[in-house]
Amino acid sequence: MPLLKFAVSIFVAAWFFMSVSGTSYAGSLLQDLENALMCKCDDKCGKVLVNCTCSTSDKTRAKFSKMLDSGLTVDQIIKSQVDEYGETVLSAPTKFGFNLTAWVMPFIALVAGGVGVRKVIYSWVDKKEETVTEDEPEEKTATSEKYSKRLQDELDGIEL
Amino acid sequence: MNDIGEFTLLIALATAIYGCVAYIMAARGNRIDLYLSADKTPLIVWGCVMISSICLWRAFLTNDFSLQYVWAYSNIELDTFYKFASFWGGQKGSLLFWTLLLTTYTVVVHFQNRKKNLHVVPYAMAVLLTIIIFFLCLVNFSTNPFERIPLPPEDGRGLNPLLQNYWMVIHPPTLYLGYVGFTVPFAFAVAALISKNLDDGWIRLTRKWTLISWFFLCMGNLFGASWAYVELGWGGYWAWDPVENAAFMPLLIATAFLHSVMIQEKKDMMKVWNMSLILLTFVMTIFGTFITRSGLIQSVHTFDEATLGYYFLAFLFVILFSCTALIVSRLPLLKSKNQLDSFLSRESGFLFNNLLLLGIAFATFWGTIFPIISEAVRGIKITVGPPFYNQVNVPIGLALLALVGIGPVIAWRRATLSNLKKNFYRPLAVAFITAVALFPVIPLGSRVENYTYIAFILCAFVMTCILSEFYKGTASRMGLHDESMFGALTTVTWRNKRRYGGYIVHIGVVLIFAGIAGSQAYGTHVEKHLKPGEKFEIRGYSITYEKLVAIEATSVKTRVIAQLDVKRNGSHYWTARPEKEFYKGQNQPVSEVDVLSTWREDLYMILADFRDDESATIKVYVNPMVSWMWTGGWIIAFGTMISMWPDRLEQRRRLERFRREESLFPSPAQE
Repeated sequence: MPLLKFAVSIFVAAWFFMSVSGTSYAGSLLQDLENALMCKCDDKCGKVLVNCTCSTSDKTRAKFSKMLDSGLTVDQIIKSQVDEYGETVLSAPTKFGFNLTAWVMPFIALVAGGVGVRKVIYSWVDKKEETVTEDEPEEKTATSEKYSKRLQDELDGIEL
Repeated sequence: MNDIGEFTLLIALATAIYGCVAYIMAARGNRIDLYLSADKTPLIVWGCVMISSICLWRAFLTNDFSLQYVWAYSNIELDTFYKFASFWGGQKGSLLFWTLLLTTYTVVVHFQNRKKNLHVVPYAMAVLLTIIIFFLCLVNFSTNPFERIPLPPEDGRGLNPLLQNYWMVIHPPTLYLGYVGFTVPFAFAVAALISKNLDDGWIRLTRKWTLISWFFLCMGNLFGASWAYVELGWGGYWAWDPVENAAFMPLLIATAFLHSVMIQEKKDMMKVWNMSLILLTFVMTIFGTFITRSGLIQSVHTFDEATLGYYFLAFLFVILFSCTALIVSRLPLLKSKNQLDSFLSRESGFLFNNLLLLGIAFATFWGTIFPIISEAVRGIKITVGPPFYNQVNVPIGLALLALVGIGPVIAWRRATLSNLKKNFYRPLAVAFITAVALFPVIPLGSRVENYTYIAFILCAFVMTCILSEFYKGTASRMGLHDESMFGALTTVTWRNKRRYGGYIVHIGVVLIFAGIAGSQAYGTHVEKHLKPGEKFEIRGYSITYEKLVAIEATSVKTRVIAQLDVKRNGSHYWTARPEKEFYKGQNQPVSEVDVLSTWREDLYMILADFRDDESATIKVYVNPMVSWMWTGGWIIAFGTMISMWPDRLEQRRRLERFRREESLFPSPAQE
């Protein structure tokens, strides 16, 4: 069991490291912008810029290309867009203030659920052990232990 | 005919109300006369709704623009194919279509059960009719598709060009079949609660319904993705739009339900949990409808006249409150044995599978409603788009993928260390080899690439787990009987349809995961403005822009087609013809992409823009492994079919187990 716990810990650590490391996207700076911002066309299409094909989105892309060429960074362009349109232009909530709840709540729920499931499983296992203890005869003979072990081994290999 | 259509909807409503009341009175008063009377109502209601639907279809096919709905969603030039599909193109018709499917399902349930399960069926029929009444009230009094225009115009406004795609005929009905289908297990669950028949009878009665609904919902989601891929012209297939989320959430919860009912069937556990899951699944289907029809959340899918949301919200709260009260009142009867042999067992695996599925469902739900919460708390409406869902759901999804492999291999009751070693050393070895083999080959660094690397390793692990299950079954069969490998494999699968059908579904899931991972991480695209004869290269493809052609397809539609020659390794590979379609009276043209799909990658061409001098802006995407997803979908369909196929052996085994357990644990209803 310690080996299993160690393996699980390594897996979780690697998983967490992979989640937080590196940039989000593998593409160009323009693609980063397209993923980070919504299309603000008159039709209120509600699409992320990268997903939008309307004429406004084409103009916006061209504008961003020019801004990047002029030496502005992705963050500066995003900030200019937020100043112009407000937070709604961002394709995802910011990671501070109230918006942080959007990011952490699913993981809090998942961890709480995980703790709950673990607790439930252990309580059910305990219940079973109590029942077995009540039902079992006081003394186990060597023969019954031998057959129990054999039965258990057989059951391990059988799909019920 | 329109009068008939309108009138039959009223008759359907009156009959449904009578049927609902009569079923309840018959069940409560044990009155056979009332039951026999109520027993005719599902068929009458279905007949009326069918006549009404035929009237609406007729209006579309005969260009009857005296109906406001037909005028708004059709015109003379529209293909018959799309006139047929325009029925569900708008809010009014889609609600009638929903009602038609619901009444059809109700009639099938009625014929399946009219002479059996009489302790539950009247209540189940009453629940189904109550839901039908809700929809009939909407189509009669709020969104009547037979509303007239006093002076009928000569031509209609036409169907939204984006909807003029063959998927329009396939995707909405498939999705609706899934949405509506979950009403049946929900109705039986409520009926079991009311009638206090709380053994696994309702699960057995509705197992196929649950599977069918799950299958349609799953296919509906995939078809929707496929439609978005070929029609929206942005090179992607899933945008985490609120309405996509609304279809995805019930699928996740229903998947959790499908797994956890196995524990109830095998071990008589988790009764409250299963009741809650099916309730939640149904509630989520209504929530999805609420989102589409409320206009509260911005979405590309929202109906034009999105005013019905509050009816659905009220309906949703009534269901939620009444069902929760019902479950709470029956808690003493829902007590299960709830015992487990070991923490390390397949039962625990199912619990964690439920946790992760619900975790993704919750994250999706939370992201969908967060703009409303933000507006309520801060007064600022924000957007929650793909970056949020990808960052939150992908790690949970990867953990779920790992469980897809672990779950079926781990033993029921208790997994010992020897059992774990025996079952996992091969999959772990394959996963290790995959990790080592891929490490120098694929790029790593960005989050998407890292996730994709993990996803591929997990896919290899899960696939080996599943295939070794097939191998074990086949090898033991070959050892016992003189059969060929193929014969043994077929027999093993055929004799354990549910188990092996499930494994096949899991293979499909693995392919979908692999397809998503590959296409998200290693796709590339380029946009070029070209004159005829100019060429460019992308990932080994040499693409030459040849010419631009304009065609007056109909009096309302003009097609502008770009022709491109694609060469690979110096020789002709494909002629691509992406186009733009211009519809009279529409502001934006519609892109019709051209895709060459192979097992390795999709070459996806878009005509983004063009000028009078015949120069054109061409966008080309190379999307790896997209076809893996669609193949995965068909494999899921195949596995579900096998799983659903009637299995006499399984029925006999279950009956024997039921008899055995009956003698030991009398069900609460019998106490």
